[in-house]
Amino acid sequence: MNQSISFFSGFGPKDLWFLPQAAWQTLVISALSISTGTLLGILFGWILSESKIIGAVTLGLVLDAFRSVPLIIQLVLFYNLFNVIGLAINPFWAGVIILAVYTSALVANVARGGIEAVGAPMRRASRSLGMNYLQTIRHIVWPIGLRAVFPSWVGVALGVLKDSALVSVLGHPELLKVARDLITRTQQPLLVLAVAGAFYFALSYPISRYAAHLERKWQS
Amino acid sequence: MKLLKLAAAAAIASTLAAPAAFADKLDDVINNGVLRCAVVLDFPPIGYRDANNEPAGFDVEYCNDMAAALDVDAEVIPVTWAERLPAIVTNRADVVFGGTSDSLERAKTVGFSIPYAIYFAQAVVGKDSGITSFEDMKGKRVAAAVGTVPEQEWLKIAAEWGEENLYQGYQSENEVFLAVAQGKADAGITTNTAVKPITDQYETVVAGPRMPWTTDYTSVAGPRKDVTWLNYINLFITHQVRSGRYEELWQKYVGDTAPELRIPGVLY
Amino acid sequence: MNFDYTFHWRPVMRKLPDLLEASLTTLQISVLSMIIGITFGLILAILRMNGPKPLAWIATGWVELARNTPALFQLFFFSFGLGAFGLHLTPYFIVLAGLTFNNAGYLAENFRGGFQAVPETQMRAARSLGMTAWQSYTRIVIPQVFRIVYHPMTNQLVWAVLMSSLAMIVGFRELAGETQALAFKTFRIFEYFAVTALIYYVMVKVILGLSRLIAWRMFRY
Repeated sequence: MNQSISFFSGFGPKDLWFLPQAAWQTLVISALSISTGTLLGILFGWILSESKIIGAVTLGLVLDAFRSVPLIIQLVLFYNLFNVIGLAINPFWAGVIILAVYTSALVANVARGGIEAVGAPMRRASRSLGMNYLQTIRHIVWPIGLRAVFPSWVGVALGVLKDSALVSVLGHPELLKVARDLITRTQQPLLVLAVAGAFYFALSYPISRYAAHLERKWQS
Repeated sequence: MKLLKLAAAAAIASTLAAPAAFADKLDDVINNGVLRCAVVLDFPPIGYRDANNEPAGFDVEYCNDMAAALDVDAEVIPVTWAERLPAIVTNRADVVFGGTSDSLERAKTVGFSIPYAIYFAQAVVGKDSGITSFEDMKGKRVAAAVGTVPEQEWLKIAAEWGEENLYQGYQSENEVFLAVAQGKADAGITTNTAVKPITDQYETVVAGPRMPWTTDYTSVAGPRKDVTWLNYINLFITHQVRSGRYEELWQKYVGDTAPELRIPGVLY
Repeated sequence: MNFDYTFHWRPVMRKLPDLLEASLTTLQISVLSMIIGITFGLILAILRMNGPKPLAWIATGWVELARNTPALFQLFFFSFGLGAFGLHLTPYFIVLAGLTFNNAGYLAENFRGGFQAVPETQMRAARSLGMTAWQSYTRIVIPQVFRIVYHPMTNQLVWAVLMSSLAMIVGFRELAGETQALAFKTFRIFEYFAVTALIYYVMVKVILGLSRLIAWRMFRY
């Protein structure tokens, strides 16, 4: 046996560099899917609030399904579907697309809540002030609705940031996947888990504090 | 007259187009100039990453050899045990070199070549687990990688013993080894070729008994319907043996004499 | 590459009883993790609000870790992380511990919000009516808190069911794990996961429907 072949290595400085790189991947996946998902979700939320029954039985049902099936199942299912129908798509983009749709389903609910938080009397009042539909949305519904649901939106975004860890099941080297590979290669589970956990915490905690702060400020 | 000309042109065009429409995988690979091999790099010494994090091992060499035979570039796509066959279904890879047991269940989804390497299942056990024979594994916590043949075979035995609850499935073979090293599991089922590198690596892990089920004939996997492609792979495998390359690579990576690939009493 | 795949649905239908049985396991572990999670969540909420300093810090640490790291990360911690200390849980208890840890963290925040929403004057009013502290807590405060947190609690139960699917990563065979194991025999992954997605959908709808029914029975006066 050729003894020069080695299959494992200890934990080296090079490995510590893999984790920030992977954390960057997590951030990119989250940023892409949260931004597209939010835009889509606001659009869906608007459709849901404007077209009560037709919207609810078509779009509403579909979006509800995305909220009622575990994300990990959705990822495996749609990744395989993409490939089965001949869309050769890599795990990164598959993950981003599925996460974005999932985000949009959650945001749609939030957005609808925001739009409906602005009651019909207020909208009628603005119309009677001579504003047209778009002006009402722009100057009345948007600012008031945003305040009402911004904390919920931050909650959704933080959830998606953490859920992006599930893209690891598709094999994309984001933070959790790289952490798992490093654990088995270096046999330092505690060190690697602590570093990976610290990265997630550092990404998520400040935002959640800020959202809580905003919520308190706006409530008073 | 004009119409006739047009018809002739159409006929010529269709005969020129027809062969392209029937291009098989072999044509595709040659024309694309690249052979995409899905390789499991979680399977030392058959597939692993070397000190520079580059793919290496018996399977990687086979991929390179086949690409050389086709006169195309080799592209190694690292996959896990669970991903290797979907890689074919989803057309992310042209072939899988991944120690794939040619089970009849899997053959419903992908196509298999003739066997290109033979293994048997063997356990690695914790130093203090006290397991020396297969019978000793009764009542012990046994681990294997999810979706592998060893997992399915072990679960049959565990069901007979009423010990399915003691089984632990992991996402990769490396996690199985770590579980045995940590003591989360008493024994992990792996392949005979992996035993030496693993026991060299982990102080707390020693070689365990051989598993009672049959020899693990592994095949190269390709698209199920592309029979011409599978034929080419078969021919490649026989050439590797005839040229002595099989023996050479097996000795380089595994160390022993390469096992006979023929199945006694069967013509294929 | 064009569409060249024939779906195999019949084998999945033949395995449907196995999948349904596994979904009972999913329900069982989710509900159990909720019951234990509610207990811990209450303790954490009370400790954070008026426990001694060190205990309050521990409670805060638990809550923030549970809420600011991925659930899958938490499962890994209970698997290989604890393994490094020589503490080895079976796959079942890894999942149960992970889900409970996460549930308790989220529920603690819900409970804290619930307690803060009940005005302190209520407690004083109850005491002045001659109730003991225990009586006023259990008869006046807790019922109101329960009413406030009922809806978030049902949501958390739905989350627990969805989250339990992560068990497939640590090798426990609830619905997702069983699906994975069955799908990997023939690698007809799409077919198996499509049916499983449907089962999850139905489970979630049944839970939400039941919770609405219970809420309607309990909270109407």
